[in-house]
Amino acid sequence: MFPAQHRPGSPSRLIPAIVTRCIALASLLSVSVLLLTFVCIIHESSAGQTRNTNTAPRVLRFVTWKADQPDAWDKAIQRFEHAYPHIRVKREIAPHSSTAYHDLLTQKLKNRDDSLDLFLMDVTWPAEFAAAGWALPLDDYFPRNEREKFLPATIVAGMYAHRIYGVPSRIDSGMLYYRKDLLEKYGLSPPVTWRDLVHQARTILEGERTAQPLLRGYSGQFQQYEGLVCDMLEFVGSHNGSLLTEDGTRSNLAAPESTQAVRFVREQIVQQIATKAVLTYQEPESLAVFVQGKAVFHRNWPYAWGLANDPRHSKIVGAVGVTTLPHFSHGRSVSALGGWLYGISAYSHHPDDAWTFIAFMTSPALQKHFSIHASLAPARIALYADPEILQANPQYTALFPVFQTSRPRPRTPVYPIVSHILQRYFSRVLAFPETDILEEAQEADRRINRFLDLAAGTRF
Amino acid sequence: MTTPSSDQTTGWIMVLPALACIAVFSLYPAMDSFFLSLYRLYVSLPGLETSFIGFGNYEQLFRDPVAHQAFLTTLGFVILSTTFELLLGTGIALVIHERFKGRGWVRGSVLIPWAIPTVVASQMWRFLANDQYGAINFVLFGDRVNAYVPWLADPWTAFGVIVMVDVWKTSSFVGLLVLAGLQVIPDGIYDAARIDGATAWQRFWHITLPLLKPALLAALLFRTIDAFRVFDLIFVMTQGGPGDATQVIQFYGYKTLFTEGRVGYGTTISVTVFVATLILSLLYLLTVGSKLLERERA
Repeated sequence: MFPAQHRPGSPSRLIPAIVTRCIALASLLSVSVLLLTFVCIIHESSAGQTRNTNTAPRVLRFVTWKADQPDAWDKAIQRFEHAYPHIRVKREIAPHSSTAYHDLLTQKLKNRDDSLDLFLMDVTWPAEFAAAGWALPLDDYFPRNEREKFLPATIVAGMYAHRIYGVPSRIDSGMLYYRKDLLEKYGLSPPVTWRDLVHQARTILEGERTAQPLLRGYSGQFQQYEGLVCDMLEFVGSHNGSLLTEDGTRSNLAAPESTQAVRFVREQIVQQIATKAVLTYQEPESLAVFVQGKAVFHRNWPYAWGLANDPRHSKIVGAVGVTTLPHFSHGRSVSALGGWLYGISAYSHHPDDAWTFIAFMTSPALQKHFSIHASLAPARIALYADPEILQANPQYTALFPVFQTSRPRPRTPVYPIVSHILQRYFSRVLAFPETDILEEAQEADRRINRFLDLAAGTRF
Repeated sequence: MTTPSSDQTTGWIMVLPALACIAVFSLYPAMDSFFLSLYRLYVSLPGLETSFIGFGNYEQLFRDPVAHQAFLTTLGFVILSTTFELLLGTGIALVIHERFKGRGWVRGSVLIPWAIPTVVASQMWRFLANDQYGAINFVLFGDRVNAYVPWLADPWTAFGVIVMVDVWKTSSFVGLLVLAGLQVIPDGIYDAARIDGATAWQRFWHITLPLLKPALLAALLFRTIDAFRVFDLIFVMTQGGPGDATQVIQFYGYKTLFTEGRVGYGTTISVTVFVATLILSLLYLLTVGSKLLERERA
């Protein structure tokens, strides 16, 4: 490759020259080896897809999040693999936060990654996943008569442009947890309006000032993230306001019903009974405050019931009450619809196996398992009459109407953008007490409308 | 003697693997990003008409108030953090340059904050800054629980904590660079100054500081560029909140690109950050680089 050069009189320079050539050769060699390895890996992985033997179990790859109750999930998957020994489920665990999970999952889907078969979708995602072509339409697998057995709100959440993309794993709705013992001590019954709640919290904080100086009136989710949209939707909605107009084409934040509710949260909740610390809380932090016995009222999803009554996590076992979220005097209670839907990747090579798994996991038996062992409220209507479920979750009887009327967040393929604008707006007006709420709301309206128009102008 | 041409061939062959790496992993993505930034591309809206929009995204960025705010926040972060890091780093370097018992241990332990992965350090500081169980409140206020402050809940203190954590984390890196600069200053100059009756302060001001200039400028270069691209700290500690008070430009770019799926606009932001850091590096290289080269030639 390199013609040897005779250099009379400089034998000492000869060695470094050889050394440098050796290094050059070695690096060239290593680069080619690297390239070869790459080619082999790519070849191997594409060969792996076509290889399909009948004897070895087929592997389903399921992207899920870090669960609040991992044991319940482990057991459920064990039951599936026992019932279907020819399918193995390999879980890929993504972060707990919905946004972080969304970013990881959509990154794979953008790259048309065919190594993942199914995933969980937050109720706000199906529009985006459907429009982007990431989620497989499930109409053939999931017929209408089967859908009717689920709570309507959870089915609607999985629909986009008249097709269905998600199967509900559970239902989540915002609810009010409270300290039964403290309310009884002061002769109070659970609050019906938000003003009652503030008033009761003040009374209790006043009375407990010396005994429990760290006690707060309210703990909820007010960090700048997706949960803030849910919490604020509930306040705005129970003041007869809404995030979007009824037809979903315009942003409705500057309407007086909405701005007045936001002002109430800023002045009465965040600055008074909750303290500004709630501006740093997502679900886990806000729940930690409550189960440590440091909050009178707490807004959370159904799963908090199990943890608040589990002596390994909670100091207030048996002292927890749960009820419908309050409303403003002339409004009605509104709970944000949350929850997760199973979806199948449009790039999966095993959609039938994935469906087998989904059908099993959303069967009455498994939803019962999750409601008893993980406090996940079932999406199947019939289970609300099951005595064992009601024994583990006595609050379901009273909360069933809440589950039926939960309010979804805006349904649009550009929801992640809308959500960021909402998060910025709510977080700004809550964190900067001097901001003009109306001005900020109008600004957010303008920006949201721009993207809604853009989405409306595209064909699906 | 080797002929110049064969020397050059060897040279090219030697740098070829590195160049290939740079081309594949830096140049190609940068060019690709630039092309993407000329399109109006939403992953969730595949049916958008007229997707090539030239420099439309850049125009939009120019008028975007959220981007302006993020840019100003980044600028504030860069100025504050690099200033404190240079001051503190020089202090650290001067201390660990002196001879004293256990210097090896001190030198090693000073580097610990820098060696901890940023994500871990940020999570740790998030706990420390918590209003109820955070150690910061306990150290400052002890039993007076009513005085406890939720540090990350207020826009100003949240920004302060972010700057503080970055200073805590990277001052020792500056210290390391400055220490290297200190070690090349010959002792003879100090001896001569001492004989002439120069005080410790005069020796520092007239000898150490001027001779440290190249090292300080190199540290400044690294730190400004790194601070300009700060991301992980914000991602873990505040998610840009409260009220976008800690939203830096890179985090805004991440949110638009990865969460919102606005590929065109998101890449426009990252290309802008790339160009800004490139200009910054070139400016520094023109001033610092020429000085460093002069020293080498001398």
